Amino acid sequence: MRNDTARWPEPRSSELIELDGLTITPVTLDRQVLVSGTNALSKETLPLVTWPEVESAASYALAVRRDRVLRVNGPAVIDGWDEDAELAISDVSDGYRVFDIRCHDMDALLGYGGEVALSLPSRSVARLWFGFGTFIYRINENVLRIHVVDYQADAMIDALVSALIKS
Amino acid sequence: MQIFTCPSCGARDEREFHFSGELGKVRPNTTGEVNEEEWATYLHTQGNELGAVREVWMHMTCAELFVMERDSVTMEVLSTTPLRKDVS
Amino acid sequence: MSSHRISRSVSERVLNFTFDGRRYVGREGDTIASALLANGVRVMGRSFKYHRPRGPWGAWVDDPNAVMSVRLGTVELPNCPATTTYLEEGMVARSVNAWPSAQFDIKAGLDVFHRWLSAGFYYKTFMWPDWHLFEPMIRRMAGLGAVSDDVLENYVSEQTHDRCAVLVIGAGPAGLVAARKAAEAGEDVALVDDHRLLGGGVYQQKTLEGKTPDVWVAEQTAAITAAGGRILTATTAFGIFDHQLVGLVQQGAFGTAPKLIRMRAGRVVMATGALDRPITFANNDRPGIFSVDAAAEYLARYDVLLGRRIALVSNNTLADGTEARLTTAGATVIRIDPTTGALKARGSKRLKGIWQDDRLHSADTILASGGMTPTVHLWRHAGGKLDWCDNRQVFVPGKGPDFLTAVGAANGEFDIDAAIAKVREPETAIKTSYHMTPLWPQPGSKGRQWIDFQHDVTLKDVELAARENYVSVEHLKRYTTLGMAHDQGKTSNMAGLAAMAAIQDRPIPEIGTTTFRPPFVPVPIETYHGHHRGQNLHPVKRLRLENAHRAAGAALCEYGGWLRPGWYGAGEAKDRIRAEVLQARKAAGIFDGSPLGKIEVMGPDAEDFVNFVYYNTIATMKPGQIRYGFMLTEGGVVYDDGVIARLGPNRFVISCSSSHVDGVRNHLETWRQDGNDPDRIYVQDTTAHWATVTVTGPKARDIVAALLPNEDVSAKAFQHMTFIETEWQGTPIRVARVSFTGDSSFELSLRQSKAEDLWGAVKSLAEPMGAGLMGLEAMLILRAEKGFIVVGKDTDGETMPHDLGFGVPRSKKKAAFLGDRSLHTEKANTKVRNQLVGLQVEDDSGPLPTGAHLTNGDTRPKSQGYVTSSYLSPTLDQPIALAMVQNGAARMGETVTVWHLGETRNATICSPCFFDTDGDRLNA
Repeated sequence: MRNDTARWPEPRSSELIELDGLTITPVTLDRQVLVSGTNALSKETLPLVTWPEVESAASYALAVRRDRVLRVNGPAVIDGWDEDAELAISDVSDGYRVFDIRCHDMDALLGYGGEVALSLPSRSVARLWFGFGTFIYRINENVLRIHVVDYQADAMIDALVSALIKS
Repeated sequence: MQIFTCPSCGARDEREFHFSGELGKVRPNTTGEVNEEEWATYLHTQGNELGAVREVWMHMTCAELFVMERDSVTMEVLSTTPLRKDVS
Repeated sequence: MSSHRISRSVSERVLNFTFDGRRYVGREGDTIASALLANGVRVMGRSFKYHRPRGPWGAWVDDPNAVMSVRLGTVELPNCPATTTYLEEGMVARSVNAWPSAQFDIKAGLDVFHRWLSAGFYYKTFMWPDWHLFEPMIRRMAGLGAVSDDVLENYVSEQTHDRCAVLVIGAGPAGLVAARKAAEAGEDVALVDDHRLLGGGVYQQKTLEGKTPDVWVAEQTAAITAAGGRILTATTAFGIFDHQLVGLVQQGAFGTAPKLIRMRAGRVVMATGALDRPITFANNDRPGIFSVDAAAEYLARYDVLLGRRIALVSNNTLADGTEARLTTAGATVIRIDPTTGALKARGSKRLKGIWQDDRLHSADTILASGGMTPTVHLWRHAGGKLDWCDNRQVFVPGKGPDFLTAVGAANGEFDIDAAIAKVREPETAIKTSYHMTPLWPQPGSKGRQWIDFQHDVTLKDVELAARENYVSVEHLKRYTTLGMAHDQGKTSNMAGLAAMAAIQDRPIPEIGTTTFRPPFVPVPIETYHGHHRGQNLHPVKRLRLENAHRAAGAALCEYGGWLRPGWYGAGEAKDRIRAEVLQARKAAGIFDGSPLGKIEVMGPDAEDFVNFVYYNTIATMKPGQIRYGFMLTEGGVVYDDGVIARLGPNRFVISCSSSHVDGVRNHLETWRQDGNDPDRIYVQDTTAHWATVTVTGPKARDIVAALLPNEDVSAKAFQHMTFIETEWQGTPIRVARVSFTGDSSFELSLRQSKAEDLWGAVKSLAEPMGAGLMGLEAMLILRAEKGFIVVGKDTDGETMPHDLGFGVPRSKKKAAFLGDRSLHTEKANTKVRNQLVGLQVEDDSGPLPTGAHLTNGDTRPKSQGYVTSSYLSPTLDQPIALAMVQNGAARMGETVTVWHLGETRNATICSPCFFDTDGDRLNA
C-alpha cells in the first residue's frame, strides 16, 4: 500500500467555520435513534419533521422514509426489536455528525449541492447533497441542520467549502 | 439529469436512484426442481423493450423500492407506484 | 487599410494588446476580432490542414477561423475564438497553427500538396512499413493551439442548481418580447443571452417600434426586471437535457472558469436566432470574405466597417438593409447575384476582387450570404423534429415536446417586426418580407471550393466520399470530418448535406442532418467537474481514531474506500510490517477494525430472511453465537464473506467486509422489499456509530481480562465464535471472539465517542505485555498465513463457495437461499473449476508475484490459474502464497510452473493453511 499520510490533511476540528455570509457550527445532540416499523410515523409522539417546515422543539423525529424516523434527543431507548410496538430500534447517536448552517439565502446555498429548494416540499428529510447521504431540515427560518454519516462528514464539509469558493 | 418521483419522498434528482431490475421477474421455487432453462431465463433474460417499460427502481436515499413505468425511448416517466400492494 | 473603425467614440476606454508580436489598440466592448479588424488586420490564422491564410468569417460563435492562444498576466488559454473573446488591457494573442505568425507561416507550402491531402488521406497513407513511425510527426503537425504545462490556479467552476417557470434563451428582439410578455403575466422568468450586451441583431436596425435600438432594449429589460424576471448575460444555454434540464454556462473575466447553472425549466422559449450561410465558390475561404450578417454586426456593435470597396454576394433580401447601412457608413458596395454565374475569389492574403464567369469585380472585401439557417440545436437536443421549408430552403423547428417553443429567426421568422408581432399574438398569420433564391454547391464545378473551413474540407472531398460510398450524412461527416471541429458545422453542415443531395440527385430533406449533441459551443471540462477535484474527486472514509493513529506515527493508506493505518512507525515499511507480524504472533497486536460493517437485521421474519440471504444455515444459531458465512449472488458467486452474530430471536448483526457495506445494505434492502414482507424485516446500518478495537494474539485474552476484570473471559467461559455484551466505564461494549489472524482474537465494539478512551486503555494495558499497534499490511499477512481469504482478491467473478472448500450447505441445506440453484448447474460441477490452494516455493527467489499464472509447463503454456496473495511470512520465515488453480483440491503435492512476464519458477500445491493447522492457537 502507498503511504498517503501527507496527501490528506488532518481531520477537521469541531470548530465553527465562517464563510462569505454563512456560518457552519458543529452541534452535539444528546441522542439519535433510528426507529423502523410499519407505524413508525403514525405512532410517533415526538413532532415529525419534513421539508421545508421549521421545527424549533428540542426533541423531534425526522421523517426519513415511509417506515422510518430518526429520533433526535428523545427519551433513552433499549436497542433491538420491540415486539409490542413492532419497532426496530438502534441507537446511532455517534453515527451521524451534525452541523447547523446559518445563512440568509437558503435556496442559493442548497443549490450548490443538489436540486433542493424551499419551494420543493418533501415528505422525507433524507437527501443526496454534494453526493453524500444527509438529513436536511430547518430548525429556524435561517438555520439549516444537517446530519451526515460520521465517516463522510469531513468530506462533505470539504465539498461544501470548496463549492462556495469563487474563482 | 432526470427527475424521478419516489412514492415515499417525492420528486428527486436521478442521482438518488438505482435501477433494480425489470418488473415481473419471479424467483422460481428452488426448494423443488427448477430446470436449467428456467433458471437461466430468470438469471439472464431481459425484455429490454422499446417504448413503455415497467421497472423496479430503488430510491437509495431512503432505500425504498418502487415501480416506475417509463418510456425507454423518450425518457418520459409515465408513473411511479409503490412496490408493495397496500400502501398509498 | 480595408477594415477600419469608422467612429472614434471618446467615452470607450482604450485597450492595448498585441497579436503575433505586434502592438495594437482597441476599445472597451471589442472582441479580439473586432479590435484587429478595426486595425486593418485580417489574416488571423492558418487553416488546419493546408495552412492557408484565414480571417474571421463571422462576428460571433459562427466564426470557424480566428482561433488564438491568449495570455493575460500569468494565465494563458489555448484555442480562444477571437470573435467571442472580449478584449482586455494587456492581452497577448497568438495565432495557432502558424509559425512564426499567421501572416507568414512556414508551413504554407503544404497547400501545394493539396491533391494528395484530400479527405481520408491518412487512411490510405502513412501505413508502410509501420504507421507508428509517422505518428510523432503527425501529432506535431495536427491540432490547433498548444496547452500550457502550468496548472491554472484558481480556475474553479462554480456549479449551482436553479429553477424557473419560463426560461427564454436568447435576448434578441423576439426573446426580449417573449420574456417581457411572460414576466408581465406573472410567471417566474429567467432570460439568458450569450452576449454581454443584450439585443441580438437589433443594433442592425436604425429604429425599432419608433425607438433607437439601445432605448428599445433598455425598455424591455427594465420591464422584465420590474416584473421580477431574472436576466443573465454572457450566459450560453449549451444543451437541453432530459426532463427539461437546461445546461447554462456563464462567462466571467478572462482566465476565470465559467459558472455552470443546471436550470430546471417549466417551459423553454428558444429565441436563438439564425446564422448566415456561406456560399460555396472557388477560393471562398480567403481572408476578407465575411458573412453579410457579420458585416452588419461589426458595424452595429463595434463601429467597424469591414472594407472600402465591398462585393456583396447574396441570394436573399436581408442583404438589402445591410447594403444600405454599409453605403451610409462610407463603403462602395457592388451587389452581385450569385445565381447568374460561377464565382471565384481573387487574392490570397489580401483580397483583390471576385470573378463571376469572365468578369472581374475589383474589391477589397467580399460579403457572402447563401441564406439564413435557424439555430435549432437545442430543439434537436430536446428531441424536437425538423421540417423542411422549400421557400426559405431551411430546416425549421417542427413537432417538438410540449415544454419547448421556438420564436423569431430560430423559428424561421427572419423579419424582426414580423417576429415580434408573432410573439405578441401567436395566432396571427404574418406575411414575411424575406425572399431568397435557392443556391447550393454545384458538384463537378471547377476550382477549390470550401465546405468546412475548420477542417479544410472541400467540395471535392464530398464528391470523393460519395464515390467511395460514404453517402449517408453520418458517414459523410466522419469520412470527411466536416462538421467535426469545434464549430460543429455551424457554417458547413448545410452546404455539406446539400452537396451530397446534389451528387445523389435527392432532395435535401431526404439526406437529413447529423445528430445534434451538446455542447452548443466548446465548454471547458472544468465546468463539468467544478469542485470535484483533488481531495474532493474521490474522498475517502475517515476513521474517528485518525488523530490517534497520526500521533502514533501511522502510515495512512487507502483501502476499501477508507483511509487506514497500513503500518506504524518510522523506518522502512517492510521492516515495520515484519515487526508488527512477529509481535502479534508473540504477544498481541492492536488493530482499528472500525470500518467493519454492523448492519442490524430485526423483526419477526429476520431469522428466515438471513437464512435466505446467506449460503450457510443461520436459522440454527443461538443468541450469543457468531457464524462465518458467505453471501452469494443469484449466479452462485461469492459476493461477500463476513460474520453474523445473533443477538436475540429477532435480531442479528451482520458484520460484512468493510469495503462492501453500502453494497450489502442495498442488497439486503432489495431482497427485504422484493420477495419478502418488508413489514416483518428491518435493516438498519449502524456501522458509523460503532468503533471496533481488535486485540489478537496469545496475550489477547490477558489484555481483555485486564480491561474487563468483572467478566469471565477464560477459554472455557468465552469460546471462539461467541460474544458477550457488557459495560466498560459505564458504556455498553460488545466483545466478540472472532479471528481473522488464526490467533485468539477479541473485537471490542463501543460507541465512537468513547473510541479514543478505549484505544488508549487497551494500549496502556498491552504495551507492558509486549504487545503493540498493528496496521493493515500486517493483518493481511497474518490472515494469509492462516489461509483466510479476502473476497475479490482470492476470489473472482466465478468463485463459488465449494471452490473454497465450503461444500456442506450446497449438499445439505434444504431451505432456499440466494444462488442455490446456480450451485448445481453443469458449469458449477466441472472438474476444471478454479479452487483455492496454497503454494510453496523451494528456490531462493522470494515470494511469487501476485497475479502470476500457473501453467502446465508446456512450451506453449496454457494458464490453469493464478497467484492471488503472496507474502514473505515473518512467522514461518518463508514465502507463502494463495492461489486459484484448476481442480486444485485434487492436486495436493503436485508441482506447477509459475509463469510471470516470460520468467518461470516451480511451486508445490499445498493446503492454503500454513499456520496452526490444528486450530490450537485459535481456540486457546
